[in-house]
Amino acid sequence: MDPETSGAPAPAPESRPPNWQSDERELVAAVLRKDRKAAARLVAAHIDAVYAYARHRLTPREELVDDVVQDVFLSALNGLAAFQGQSSLRGWLVGIARHKVEDVYRQRLRAADPIDDATNPVEDRQPSEAPAMEERLDAMRAREKARQVLARIPERYGLVLLWRYWEQRSVREIATAIGATEKSVERTLARARARFKQVWMKGGTEAP
Amino acid sequence: MTDDLWFERLAADREPAAIPAPARLKSKVYSAVLSRLAESGPLEDLLRTKQAGGHLCVFENALTIVPIGADLRSRNPCRVCHARVLAERMEDAPIFWPGCPYAEFHRG
Repeated sequence: MDPETSGAPAPAPESRPPNWQSDERELVAAVLRKDRKAAARLVAAHIDAVYAYARHRLTPREELVDDVVQDVFLSALNGLAAFQGQSSLRGWLVGIARHKVEDVYRQRLRAADPIDDATNPVEDRQPSEAPAMEERLDAMRAREKARQVLARIPERYGLVLLWRYWEQRSVREIATAIGATEKSVERTLARARARFKQVWMKGGTEAP
Repeated sequence: MTDDLWFERLAADREPAAIPAPARLKSKVYSAVLSRLAESGPLEDLLRTKQAGGHLCVFENALTIVPIGADLRSRNPCRVCHARVLAERMEDAPIFWPGCPYAEFHRG
């Protein structure tokens, strides 16, 4: 899939000089003729955006971030000759990052051990009992707490929640990507939500 | 509030913070990019890079001064440079060579 047309989310706002398109085309041309200083400029200019995207989409599995970021730049080299400059280089690279992150979700969800329902019972808690986060915590504390909870629940649950809610992918898309049925994904999501809330309500400190 | 809505709101609140990439990672990615570029043929001759305004480090500059062939000037001296090794393994590595991308990653 072409990252330029993939509908990837816009990267963080960037201030662009008036000639940014020609500057970026020059940078791309220099990298393609293997100018090592241009390669350094490419990395320096865009790695922070790619890193921020990957880090937040892979939380709490931060040990995966470095490999994804490197993979993004190496994949970008393969496609650099085809870069048309229709979007900014940063947007193009973040688009590639999005695909790489989804590859990680897909691979790890396929590989993850199935969760044993008997040892991970779904709590029959009514949605109305869920804590009103916005009433209890400010956004920053909520983000940090979510990060802690995601780190404490089984990986399979964390990944499916990240994919569904943080990446805003539909159940059907997830099911197709991992070769499962929608019902199976729904079941996993229900267990994941219940487990997340269970840990959340205990302050994010419960051992998985 | 439904479960779905609760999670959607939680996810929407999770704006990425501006955490820069570690200098160590920048260095590793740059090294990987150079290696990948070199796989398909020699890098650009350092003389040409210099003429195009590229700021060379002291070692690269030496390669453009001594009487060697373009073949050697197209190799990647960073592969055997201590600055690269330090830069890939440490944060805030003690390297300060002007024109060295690794030093710039760590000072930037």
